[in-house]
Amino acid sequence: MTITDLAPTSFSIPTLETERLFLRAMRAEDIAEEVAFFDSERSRAVGGPLPQNQVWRAVAGMIGHWALRGYGFWALEDKVSGRYLGRAGLWCPDPWPEPEIGWTLMAHAEGQGFAREAALAARSHAYDTLGWTTAISLIAAGNTRSEALAHRLGARLEGEYLHPTIGAMNIWRHPGPSLAPDDPGHASWRPQ
Amino acid sequence: MTTPVLTTDRLILRAPDKRDEPAMLGFFTGERARFYGGAYDLAGAWRYFAAQVGHWALRGYGMFAITAKDRGETLGLAGPWHPPSFAEPEMAWLLTEARHEGQGFATEAVGAALAHVFAVHRWASLPSYIDRDNGASRTLARRLGAVPDPDHAAPIGNCETFRHFAPEARA
Repeated sequence: MTITDLAPTSFSIPTLETERLFLRAMRAEDIAEEVAFFDSERSRAVGGPLPQNQVWRAVAGMIGHWALRGYGFWALEDKVSGRYLGRAGLWCPDPWPEPEIGWTLMAHAEGQGFAREAALAARSHAYDTLGWTTAISLIAAGNTRSEALAHRLGARLEGEYLHPTIGAMNIWRHPGPSLAPDDPGHASWRPQ
Repeated sequence: MTTPVLTTDRLILRAPDKRDEPAMLGFFTGERARFYGGAYDLAGAWRYFAAQVGHWALRGYGMFAITAKDRGETLGLAGPWHPPSFAEPEMAWLLTEARHEGQGFATEAVGAALAHVFAVHRWASLPSYIDRDNGASRTLARRLGAVPDPDHAAPIGNCETFRHFAPEARA
């Protein structure tokens, strides 16, 4: 009989940096913004609305996701103002069909290209650091803003997934690691 | 983040992680989760366990995985749990399967978790919210010295508040 694990348990959440954003671990201070978001109609596309207690549990679950899967959602922090803008990352809770790239912005952060900037960083992390060979995004039918972003990221509509609580979602397939034309790391990428 | 590891005669208590996922999903999707608001579907079970894991990062403490020292098997969880709907942290526990019952594992684990949190956090007392139909947990709470606390209504339906006191508060 051998005791193999007496070391303190730990998991780490890396911080990524883009032109305008830090992608960092979610913290308790971010929850107030998420409570406001999940109290709004805009949250319907991602399983809302939710009461405060459920939002707290959801954020705890997002952090726990890192420990269970080795990846997860990052908080998006404005590098200049320090404000919490939303979250983006890599997501595969049970019973997800396969790992996805996800993004959700707070209302005040929309329309400035933050989701695209964060999704590209998350996708690069998936391909370059984690070695993913493919990635999807699950987008609720009718979420036109996210559909437009998926399209601009080079993803193609592939099929449908019936989410247990959100309902019908579309599966968008991203270009693979070697042919992601929207990726800043790709030779053909140019700033828009 | 770094989290504590507690060792007892037969158990190692550590922060829950992916090694505990199969046992915990089995618990939350099964009949034993009825005192935890279940049984849940797989999505709900995964969310609940992931929240228990992430609780450590938000609060700096959380429920420990109870593991058998000799073989590493996950037996359950025990430790403080503090969602915002609770006015104070609760000492909570569960054993994932019936075959782990009747061997004193929960007593050993909850006793160690209580000693740890009273020593580290200097809390004077901690409630446990126990379902009125959960005879095993009511017996365990009393065995550990907890007493019914009718002055603090439990924030969960059909539960009664038991209160554990720190050693200093008991003396």
